Amino acid sequence: MKFFFTALLMIAIAPCHADFTQNLRWSLDASARLNQNEALENTSRIYALGLDTHKVFTLSKGDIGYGVGQVYYTKLSNHIPVPFLFTSKDDSEFIIREAHVNYTAGPNWLPNIRLGHFTLPFGLEESIDTNGRLLDYYHGKNLGTKLDWGFGFNKVLSQIEYSVSYTLGGKNKAKSVDGSYAITGRIGSLSHLDFVIGLSFFEGKIDGISRKRLALDWQYYWGTWGFLGELALGENNKQLQGGAKEKYSLFELNKTSINEQFKLYGQFIIRDRENKPSADTLVNIGFSYQFNTQLELSISGGKQINGPSMAKKQQLARVQIRVRY
Amino acid sequence: MNIRFISLILILMLILLSGNVNAIAYCSLRDPVSQIAQLYPQKTNQLSIVKAVDDNIRSQVQFALPRNDLHFSELGQHTLYIAMFGKESLGYVHVRSEQSDWGLVEIVWAIDKDLRIRDFVFQRCRSPKKKIAEEGGFKNIFIGKNYQELKTLLSDDGVTAKKDVLIIAQSAPELANVVLRCALKTLLLTDILWGEELEKL
Repeated sequence: MKFFFTALLMIAIAPCHADFTQNLRWSLDASARLNQNEALENTSRIYALGLDTHKVFTLSKGDIGYGVGQVYYTKLSNHIPVPFLFTSKDDSEFIIREAHVNYTAGPNWLPNIRLGHFTLPFGLEESIDTNGRLLDYYHGKNLGTKLDWGFGFNKVLSQIEYSVSYTLGGKNKAKSVDGSYAITGRIGSLSHLDFVIGLSFFEGKIDGISRKRLALDWQYYWGTWGFLGELALGENNKQLQGGAKEKYSLFELNKTSINEQFKLYGQFIIRDRENKPSADTLVNIGFSYQFNTQLELSISGGKQINGPSMAKKQQLARVQIRVRY
Repeated sequence: MNIRFISLILILMLILLSGNVNAIAYCSLRDPVSQIAQLYPQKTNQLSIVKAVDDNIRSQVQFALPRNDLHFSELGQHTLYIAMFGKESLGYVHVRSEQSDWGLVEIVWAIDKDLRIRDFVFQRCRSPKKKIAEEGGFKNIFIGKNYQELKTLLSDDGVTAKKDVLIIAQSAPELANVVLRCALKTLLLTDILWGEELEKL
């Protein structure tokens, strides 16, 4: 399957290969993140060094599409729980984040065609990129993965935009694992406007769990303030444990300085699962400061404000320095 | 792990030696296909030319337009789009940001082949006066003018428009100042960065 994707990617970019550096933008992206997890009484670090590229494929008569490639060498240090891509708390791996091409040169009535490893088109994450940032909309937790290999169709029309995809559910693997798959889609108003509203759906099987989701998301900006939200309803179905209904709500209030160097946000999240005695309620507060085009400092803190009395509540503080060159 | 790390460093060194690197790889126009069609409805495709706005270019802007600067997000790689009808060029599209009291204002400029403002739309503008700035009376302050003609609209302070311009702008004088500064920088940068390529078309 990997060969299939690679071959298709090569066919897609072949006409432009002779002058690959034309319209190629790229940057080196390095970050160091310190995590203090109070519930686990653990301090961990994550280091990432990678290449972030964006290439417009152009022929003499015009553009035919673009490609995005993000490859990162990522090193953990004492990180628990161990993320799924790693085998131990001090492991290191090469990780592909976004790696896809989007063919945009079809006639107006035809959607653009995306192929590769991309963020699933669902909810707030569809228009707000959180890759490499402390800001998170919990895409991975809700759907089972944030990025997946597959193909999709997308288009921006005069009043609405849409994106639908079929992916293999293998997450970082370009193959279906034990019958995994994901069908995801979002339709919404234009994402660059001051008021954005969208409807998303998801049906898939990832890591042996079948999930269904239906979600409403919105963004409203007034001056330098933003009010964002995502409400999702659905069901998780594990083979042995049976089905359980899920509700997820996220509300965010953010403030940006007029020169956009400083960003502050607060999130309130409620996650309710059937068969659990009470819903999890979390609060996140974070800020970022962009010193210049290269250097950014981010700090965030999250705390669970209810939860089972016997278990320790989630409490996580994080600091990240990110340099793009 | 050591072999992996050394391989990575070698790859990065090779890349560093092969050309310029860029701080941020992002696309200023959210969706070039649809947004260029808004300004050039008859276009069949667009052709991108990516160029770097660096400190040298920034100095040239500061020299040509004293008391003006480029926002830090305006450094790095930027794209000029040529709106195409088949193999014929219809004009150019460029998007630039300008700081305002309501955050960054992002304006998508349509420029004709003589480097005059043909039209513009806001990609992002959170000013409560945005609707005024979308009306024909306001837009006509800028439409049809080239860099030199727009520069005559600047008052002596170099950052605000002259009083007679602000009268036409009705109750949106702050937005008129923002749009004027953005238009000047857009035409200046288009000429400095892409002028040679555009002459060959």
